[in-house]
Amino acid sequence: MTPAPEPEPFKVVIVGGGTAGWMAASALVKLLPAQDYAITLIESDEIGTVGVGEATLPHIKVFNDRLGIDEAQFMRETQAAFKIGIEFVGWDQPGERYVHPFGTFGEPWAGVDFQHHWARARAAGRASELHDYSFAIAACRNNAFEFPNEDPKSIRATFAYAYHFDAALYAQFLRRWAMPLGVTRIEGKVVDVRRDDGTGHVASLMLASGAEIAGDLFVDCSGFRSLLVGGTMEVDWQDWSHWLPCDRALAVPNMRVEPLLPFTRLTAQEAGWTWRIGLQHRTGNGYVFSSRFTDEERARDVLLAALDAPPLGEPRLLRFQAGRRAAAWAGNCVAVGLASGFLEPLESTSIFLIQAAVMDLIGLMPTRRSGIDPRLAAEYNRLFEVHYDRTRDFLVLHYTANRRHGQPLWDHVRNMQLPESLAHKIALFRASAAAPDYRYGLFSRDSWLSVLVGQGVLPAAWNPLAEAIPLDDLAARLADLKYRIEVNAADMTGHGDFIRSYCPAPALEPAA
Amino acid sequence: MSVRVQTLVLLGRDAPLWLAASVLQAALKPAGVAVTAIELPSLLHVSDVYATLPGIEALHTRLRLDEAGLLRATGGAFSLGQNIRDMLGGHGHFLNAYGAYGTPIEGNDFFPYWAKARDLGLDVALEQFSLTAAAARQGRVMIPDEASEAYGRADYGYHLPAIAYAAGLKSVASRIGVAMRTANHIAIERGDDGDIVALVADGERAAGELFVDVTGSDAALIGKTLGIDQQSWRTHFSADRVFAARAQPFAPIPTYAELRAWQPGWAALYPTQAATHVIHAFSSALTEPEDALARLGAAAGLALGDAVLRPSDPGRREQAWAHNCVAIGSAACALDPIHNLDLHAVQLGLITLLTYFPTGQDVAPSRDEYNRLMRSSFERLRDYQAAFYALAPYPGLFWDTGRAAPQPPELAHIVATFRARGEVPPMEDDSIPTDNWRALLIGLGVTPESYPPRIDATSPDTVKAQFRTMLGFVRDAVLRQPTHAQALGTTNG
Repeated sequence: MTPAPEPEPFKVVIVGGGTAGWMAASALVKLLPAQDYAITLIESDEIGTVGVGEATLPHIKVFNDRLGIDEAQFMRETQAAFKIGIEFVGWDQPGERYVHPFGTFGEPWAGVDFQHHWARARAAGRASELHDYSFAIAACRNNAFEFPNEDPKSIRATFAYAYHFDAALYAQFLRRWAMPLGVTRIEGKVVDVRRDDGTGHVASLMLASGAEIAGDLFVDCSGFRSLLVGGTMEVDWQDWSHWLPCDRALAVPNMRVEPLLPFTRLTAQEAGWTWRIGLQHRTGNGYVFSSRFTDEERARDVLLAALDAPPLGEPRLLRFQAGRRAAAWAGNCVAVGLASGFLEPLESTSIFLIQAAVMDLIGLMPTRRSGIDPRLAAEYNRLFEVHYDRTRDFLVLHYTANRRHGQPLWDHVRNMQLPESLAHKIALFRASAAAPDYRYGLFSRDSWLSVLVGQGVLPAAWNPLAEAIPLDDLAARLADLKYRIEVNAADMTGHGDFIRSYCPAPALEPAA
Repeated sequence: MSVRVQTLVLLGRDAPLWLAASVLQAALKPAGVAVTAIELPSLLHVSDVYATLPGIEALHTRLRLDEAGLLRATGGAFSLGQNIRDMLGGHGHFLNAYGAYGTPIEGNDFFPYWAKARDLGLDVALEQFSLTAAAARQGRVMIPDEASEAYGRADYGYHLPAIAYAAGLKSVASRIGVAMRTANHIAIERGDDGDIVALVADGERAAGELFVDVTGSDAALIGKTLGIDQQSWRTHFSADRVFAARAQPFAPIPTYAELRAWQPGWAALYPTQAATHVIHAFSSALTEPEDALARLGAAAGLALGDAVLRPSDPGRREQAWAHNCVAIGSAACALDPIHNLDLHAVQLGLITLLTYFPTGQDVAPSRDEYNRLMRSSFERLRDYQAAFYALAPYPGLFWDTGRAAPQPPELAHIVATFRARGEVPPMEDDSIPTDNWRALLIGLGVTPESYPPRIDATSPDTVKAQFRTMLGFVRDAVLRQPTHAQALGTTNG
């Protein structure tokens, strides 16, 4: 048998070199067979990246691990810190705060989810706040960090962790990491798109240099511009700003202050919210606001007033609109990251949505033999919708469940018409303590629980099956749980110390 | 409804009634809810049989129903899956087993490696990589241990003669304190808001706050009383008549069911200790009932007796929970008889009801959630069942009709994705394991046109070596397993 001639590798061209572009390039070059795929990435130093996604979800560790990235090295080179939750300040009403932990609340007893037991004990005056029953929250309160315990039965195993990192440094780290594996990087600016007359697919990209880059599949990581999917393929934009009215952000770093917090802090403001993300070398800050409810001048004042140290430079303005493309994969173009949609970084989903898009794409990646197959695109787009729509509902919850009366933005979102799927989830929890629970897509039941309760949506009743446990026994179990959490959390290493010994980053000149 | 449930009244019959009553009693008694079961005259026939999926074990455990005792008392048998066999020649057979097929290679699913190898000429069936399927082929059961768990899931269900199983569940219900009544005639009292207030069973009144309709396709409460319509799935299912019959038991008793495709439709053989139970589904438009039975006996080489003929009319109630009445099983959704999923549907309904049990002043959200989840769960079962008719490659008018029928859109998407990529799209609320979807689709001749290219990063030598190791492991592990007779305790040593 004579071997068939080796077919040409399938050419994947990634347009854009921000976080999305380099995450896509890294995963594609690492996980696809090198002999069958040629990965090219076009980026231009003239085009800035948005890089707002400095806080992540625990899934990013799965992504990095799958690529075989060394954690300590990655953390050193991106100035990263650990993150085990998000603290929301003033969302329900000014003065209130709660943490959305990357961990569980309690444990199921008698086959019934924890929050039913908690709701029942609370009604009887026998429980403290829900958030006292999360180990991850206790660790946040202590500014502590350690890796989750390997014994799955330990209370110290009931959480996962993510990172705060500098997204621009992460993209650079991935570039250094991926290029030796065979990614071809082309510096250049796309000035024209050539299409196949028959299929309408993109055939090649013309660069300002005059070079023509041909490809079989184009991954559109061009950011808000959505050069290929929104532009060339003219896929519709679904505007969600009626649910998520924020459309501007001002971002500014400042000097790091002690202690180094192992969580993101998001503070509700009059016309949006400010973020605070602690890295090793500095703190990232920003104000996401709605131009319908404030102006840039006022927003700048609010942001600067919220800082805990002097700013390093002038706040930078970003404009956006919440929503997504009707489809992320059209013809032979697949949008990843901001080119596919935008959801404000309220739950650190930007990088997760990139990761999900990249991993789904790897599973459904066309082959030389399959060619561009609309059936693969149909499944990809179905998954894309699941990811975006479920995330959207969770974000909208943060807005609508508020008691910030008299502030026009907050009055508006409290009274707006909700997506039907979200209205149902809230009503269900309020009536019965049953929290949203689904297998695919973000977020977990515990995440929903933390935000619902944290923002004052409290259950009026609970599953009667919980009553199989006598109330005194239940109170004793709750006390024991809380004790185990407190004792174990008190015993943890401080986050700053942990970072200093595990992954200290070199000092950098703060960016001006 | 907004009253706290103190008393729950079930109306129904046979295994679904007693399974529901027992499971609800076991879960709700500690919470102070009283459970009353009103039993209507049985519609079971001596030939009826339940095939259970592995998940039934979770309910049996709740009821402290011991396996050996159950199989002894019912004359039931272990079942490791379903052998699907073409009696018309041409398409051979395949085992759709209750377990994993293969073990991951370099962190990737086994299946695409197999699909690729087959495309390159490998002549080893998918089922040979399944511990469960291989054990079934050898007349053995498959008892999981640490090594087999590391390889992949190995599960089993049962074949249970329906009358004996219903009797066993009824005695459990009695033992754990379900209040039991029998009735020939039921009158229903309703309140001004349309809610059911009480059932009057042969003149005796049973009041309650929540009523569970386990009357089967009768749908005495949800349908006849509350007027909830059934949305027909007729268009996807060409069989509208079902025979149940039985024949002498096989010796030795196989550890799997066999679904035989032939001209008029399909016949499923469910071996038990007491008999071989046979279900035969066909279309009345194409085949006369008398003819069907006679021809089946001859074709199967079985002396069939005790036959009973029933109609089959698959469809889903618009709502499984309306007012203060929750329909469980066929009352909520009449499934096609293929794969014998009726008891599985009962289980899904019960578990979902316990999770969203009515509570507090505002029950509407729990009801809406129950209806949403059950609709989605039932529709996924529908897809799995409809897949058989839509894809079966067998010749003849009955099978032509199935292939020509429109597919539910979700099924069409599942099949298209599988054909294009060899992946089964992950669908919310699908209770059928991916391994079974794959085994079924491959077995029916759907050939993936591509596979996830990341598996090409594994060297062919590694794949070959892994395949050899797997086949060796399966062979050795199966040889250590007890025979069916040993597992049933019907042999001495």
